[in-house]
Amino acid sequence: MDEATQKSVLSDATVKEAMRVQVLSLSAASPINHGIRQLIKYKSNAFLVNGEGGAPVGVVSKTDIIGAYYAGLPIESPLGDIMVSPPMFCSPGDSLESALDTMRSQRIYRLYVRNEASNEVVGALAYPDIVGLLYGYCRSCDRSVMNRKKNRAEDPDEMRIRVKDVMTESVVWSHDDDNLSQIMEELSEHRCGAVLIRNRSRRPISVISKTDLILAYARGIQSEAPARNVLASSRVISCQDSTFLEDAIRKMILSDLQRLFAWSEIPENIVGVISLSDAARVRSGSCHACISSRIRVE
Amino acid sequence: MYRARDVMQKRFHTLSPHMTIAEAIEHFKRASEEAHRRVFGMIVKDEAGRLVGMLSMYDVLLLIRPKHTQVWGIMTDIEVNGLFEVIAERAQSVHVEDLMTTDVITIKPDTHVLHILDIMIKKHIRRLPVVNEGIIEGMVYLSDLFYFLVDNLSPQGGGTH
Repeated sequence: MDEATQKSVLSDATVKEAMRVQVLSLSAASPINHGIRQLIKYKSNAFLVNGEGGAPVGVVSKTDIIGAYYAGLPIESPLGDIMVSPPMFCSPGDSLESALDTMRSQRIYRLYVRNEASNEVVGALAYPDIVGLLYGYCRSCDRSVMNRKKNRAEDPDEMRIRVKDVMTESVVWSHDDDNLSQIMEELSEHRCGAVLIRNRSRRPISVISKTDLILAYARGIQSEAPARNVLASSRVISCQDSTFLEDAIRKMILSDLQRLFAWSEIPENIVGVISLSDAARVRSGSCHACISSRIRVE
Repeated sequence: MYRARDVMQKRFHTLSPHMTIAEAIEHFKRASEEAHRRVFGMIVKDEAGRLVGMLSMYDVLLLIRPKHTQVWGIMTDIEVNGLFEVIAERAQSVHVEDLMTTDVITIKPDTHVLHILDIMIKKHIRRLPVVNEGIIEGMVYLSDLFYFLVDNLSPQGGGTH
């Protein structure tokens, strides 16, 4: 049986099971700085944009706001000027696999969920939400390492996936004297959410994420300013590359982290990065017992 | 006729937009101790004394709330070690200006108390800054308004105004 026809743990799952019901939406006339405050307040990566009649007409993500920052748009510019249109929708009853196919083919990170009968937006679906659902499956699985007492005949540690098995091995670096525009270019070129910052002795000292950049925009920091001006307390949060994937996922979920950097031998030797999105896209569970539920990545 | 100036508190604490949330939390504690009651929200003033926003306890709680709450229910062995460190770190890097509500409803010193009551009920707000020509002169709190009205509308309190 090839991978495409394998039955996956996701085969019977619907969008409704994984979606989050809190959906952030703002008027197209609202200024960008209002949008930034809402993203920070609600810890969201994007929001729906509504037109004059209240219907959703677009989406603004942190990436779009960083684009506005890079282009030098005034912070009071309306969200309608930077939104991506139209928003992409799915239905609560759609299969999770079909939603994932849409996200992959459209190269987008979230879908909004619309009730077809009422035309009302009832939720949003992003990769971290799917991690949550899969984590739940994993915990209830008889063969899961989390239920190891039931499987004493097997060596649970042998079955467990480690961070180094699934991490992205290329890490994007910048220097603390690079300016913010250069960092925005790095993020755009590598399609990543954060860059590691190192000092002149090449030691990793901090991280600049998309969140840090939109905050810098809202606070009026010029994009020509050096990275060190926005480093604040964004220390490098990392784990060893031999850490079990399950432990890394749990650390990210509990600490509201989007990603962990992975080190080998010594903490200064950063060799990779793993994000919740990677965890969702690369596989479902955290042990080899779960290979049938792998999500294809293209 | 009773007006905002009759019910407003003239002593109140304020925040600066550039304070960190950690500093703002300290101000909340201090304000609650001095007022002998829990302070649920504080106004934010710029260097010129102009009202620029309002920060509520709810805004701070949103920052503290973990993002992936839907997963917490299935995690029975949650280890909170380190969790509060992360929250404290976040409170150091986020400023009051990043979280505050800027669309603040204000009243004037001569706004009638029943009009204030109407605004508070319709808008679901518990406190209203009293602003006169751009300068904040006081705060009207829902609890103060409640006891003011109860005392003055009861037979012992008159109620003829």
